[in-house]
Amino acid sequence: MFQARGLSYTYPSSRIGIHNVTLEAGPGERIVVMGPNGSGKSTFLELVATAIPSQPETLSLFGESKRTATRALRKRIGVVQDQPVHIETLTGLENARLFSELYGISPGETDNTLVDLFAALGLEEVQNIPVSEYSYGMKRKLLLVEALVHKPELLIVDEPTLGLDPPSQAALLTILENYSRNGTCILIATNDMILAQHLATRIVFLCEGEMIAQGSTDDLFAKISGNTRIDIKLKEKIVADLTLDEFAITAMPGRILAESNSGMNSLPRLIEAVLNSGFNIAQIDVRETDLGDVFTYLTGLDIRDNNEWKMDS
Amino acid sequence: MENGLMTLPIWKSDWIIAKRRKRLLALNILIPLMLVAPISISTAPPAHAAAVFTVLFVIFGTFGSSIPIIRDSESGLFKRYTLTGIHPGGLVLQRLFASATLDILELTPSIVFIFLSRGSPLVQMTSMIPALIVAIITANLIGAWAAAVARSIAEGALFSSVLALLLLHFSGTFRSPSPKTWGATIERWAPFRHLHESFLEITSGSVATLPSDFLLPVIVLCTGLCITGAWKKI
Repeated sequence: MFQARGLSYTYPSSRIGIHNVTLEAGPGERIVVMGPNGSGKSTFLELVATAIPSQPETLSLFGESKRTATRALRKRIGVVQDQPVHIETLTGLENARLFSELYGISPGETDNTLVDLFAALGLEEVQNIPVSEYSYGMKRKLLLVEALVHKPELLIVDEPTLGLDPPSQAALLTILENYSRNGTCILIATNDMILAQHLATRIVFLCEGEMIAQGSTDDLFAKISGNTRIDIKLKEKIVADLTLDEFAITAMPGRILAESNSGMNSLPRLIEAVLNSGFNIAQIDVRETDLGDVFTYLTGLDIRDNNEWKMDS
Repeated sequence: MENGLMTLPIWKSDWIIAKRRKRLLALNILIPLMLVAPISISTAPPAHAAAVFTVLFVIFGTFGSSIPIIRDSESGLFKRYTLTGIHPGGLVLQRLFASATLDILELTPSIVFIFLSRGSPLVQMTSMIPALIVAIITANLIGAWAAAVARSIAEGALFSSVLALLLLHFSGTFRSPSPKTWGATIERWAPFRHLHESFLEITSGSVATLPSDFLLPVIVLCTGLCITGAWKKI
């Protein structure tokens, strides 16, 4: 469906968007791109969607170099960008029909598809209401309807669960799985661990524009040592040098991340070791490991911290 | 021709939007009428009245296309459209001709008022209507060009006004150029000349026929838009 070979993009300000990313995806694959803010996830998606130009010979879509026939290739792609932009005066259904016609499908041909999509995403009751009256989540769901109306071979979705309530997230997951089963290749950028773990056939980690790892969730989980993650925040902002047999420990300033296969049973020993080393514990968080932990293990960075920072700022 | 262009989805949606925005539609009809009416019923000299009418109609046309194009470009809607594979030129042309048609319909009450208040013979319509259509399409093309180079709505309004006023000047709207000067040469090619002359004829009560080259400005500007690929920048 798409093949990136050393794909790079530098913004006009000279900031590197992505650098030397090589990735290939076939029909039915579900690729989830993860990474902190500014890691290049959206830039990579925009390049594959042909929204921003790529260097010659670094990207091919459906086996063709995208420079040769961009407009024809675009008709085979569905794109859900992070901003829900619609024609606010038109109803949801009219917006969706407009996009189906822009994709080159005659009016009426997509009626059944639209009925199914509006129903699946819980929009059927508001389909004849102007989009100006939609909530943010509804507008996001309408973006998905518009991107799927022409049954694309490649679906590109930036932050699919943003603004969606849990039932809508479940519906989204079902829709994406159904399209994937019918051969649609799905490329998603998200830091939603649950979605990524449920949906992805392959995870790609991006950090500062570079691809640092890719593989199935099992492949990536195999890189870390345990299924329980203990996150200890210290009162002192120093790196605690600890070694314990049953733990894989990553020490960061003011923080200790420990992975273990012993679950909660090993927690007292770890606390004892920390206190005996003269540190004061501010907070302890124990949970199952997820893809964010794999990312932290590989980079020393925390995807969640960046999200918190974004919300605060 | 590709399917998306054959069904003219942008053209259709622009019409639906115009019909739904009833307040805006009413304002777009009433405001030109309110500006035209006092001049038309006054004893203003024909040259002055014709100049005011021409400037008003042309600015109405340029703003009518430049501002919505810039707004949709800034919001990301144009980008969304182009990602569907529609030809950007086709997209801009659909917007332009929908906007120009709406402008003409919205300005029709003002034209009718000028005709009635000046007691012009109906035969004048035969030259006025084509001149108006050409001027409004041209004004919309200028608006699209301005939208292509502008980075904000304010810039778009500024560029549209400057370009429109410059072309109005070359069209002899503000003063007739001396014969055999470069100004007189340019005037023949200037896009708003026929609209201005039609208004002059209505306000002065004379009758004239439209010259055979009245479509020239539109052809020149359309070609220019294609050659420069202005829509690619929108």
